[in-house]
Amino acid sequence: MRYLTLSFLAVFLFSCGSYPKKQQLKPIESALNVFSNPYFSNTSKDYIYKANISAYGKSFSGLFIVKKIEKNQHRVAFTTEMGNKIFDFTITDNAFSVNYILDDLNRKLLLNVLKQDFTTLVKENVDISGVFVKDNASFFETQILDKPHYYVTKNNSLSQIVSVKNGKAKTVFSFSKINDNIANKITITHHNITLKINLKSIN
Amino acid sequence: MHKLLYILCFVCFGMQAQTKMTTSEAQNLKTLVKSQAKTTKTIVSDFTQYKHLDFLSNDIITKGMLHFKAPNLVKWAYNKPFQYTVIFKNESLFINDEGNKSQIDIGSSQMFKQLNKLIIKSVKGDMFDDNEFDISYFKNDGKSNVHFSPKNPEFSEYITSFQITFNKKGDVEDVKMVEPSGDYTKIVFSNRTLNTPLNDAVFNP
Repeated sequence: MRYLTLSFLAVFLFSCGSYPKKQQLKPIESALNVFSNPYFSNTSKDYIYKANISAYGKSFSGLFIVKKIEKNQHRVAFTTEMGNKIFDFTITDNAFSVNYILDDLNRKLLLNVLKQDFTTLVKENVDISGVFVKDNASFFETQILDKPHYYVTKNNSLSQIVSVKNGKAKTVFSFSKINDNIANKITITHHNITLKINLKSIN
Repeated sequence: MHKLLYILCFVCFGMQAQTKMTTSEAQNLKTLVKSQAKTTKTIVSDFTQYKHLDFLSNDIITKGMLHFKAPNLVKWAYNKPFQYTVIFKNESLFINDEGNKSQIDIGSSQMFKQLNKLIIKSVKGDMFDDNEFDISYFKNDGKSNVHFSPKNPEFSEYITSFQITFNKKGDVEDVKMVEPSGDYTKIVFSNRTLNTPLNDAVFNP
């Protein structure tokens, strides 16, 4: 009985451990207090991606569009290949507004997921509360919509953003094929729900 | 002086906007397009699609090829900047997304059925149904431009008007679908050939 209680306690303590502890990240001193995501930072650029979304065994495709309107303000839209608009959001540092969404998709739960994902994806500057290293990667700790996130850089280039819940990766944003501050390939993988978004730049 | 001339030219050009057709002109166009649509057994055409979103600096341009065979086979194939094909056949949509194939059954959805019907009608231009649309006729430089505004509120929620440009022969030159927000999708046809024999196999998914 004592062993059982102890092992429960051990499992409990382990699952409550912070993300850096679980990932064995090493904290370091850093003078950096703001981290900038460069991938959607140019107001003169239209960011257009061919998107494939798989959710709960179904897959959809279309065009995913991001435009930086001004400092700390982005438009994020999704259309079918044939041009029908599915959704169109305006995202600022402290607001998320729906300009349009297809009636069938206008569900609070889904909107919340999209708000979380796209706010994280396009947010340009975040305040850093801690810096960690592991192997050749650096981890910058921050909060987005009051939830812990880690910006992961390799060779000084942003390669991942990890959204964390209970010390575990909940959503992972991976950026690759980077050229001239454009991430030509982006994947957004959810670990708590069956949702994956693949984006491939087409311009 | 030169500057003034230029400005005058632009002003004149701007003023040369489309004017409304008379009732008989509209009737003539309707007859022409309907008879053209009736004799159209196949259409093969290149197309360029311009997706206009007001907040973007440039329209999103995609290109591809359209195949149509009467009465209701349509293949809409994008080849630039990605490969994506939709085939409308037997109340189903067959999608080939860069090799990933899928099928959507549209038999059960009235909305999809209507969309399917509209796509077929719009490639031929024959959308002259006063029960379904408020129709207005314009002319500009020898070409005709007809605005079809869906009466069904369920539909006008998505598209406020289909605007089709016809050439003198009554062929469709472009189709513009305008959304309630003012954003639109414009499809411009080129190298359009009518009634060349087309094997059904073209529409195999």
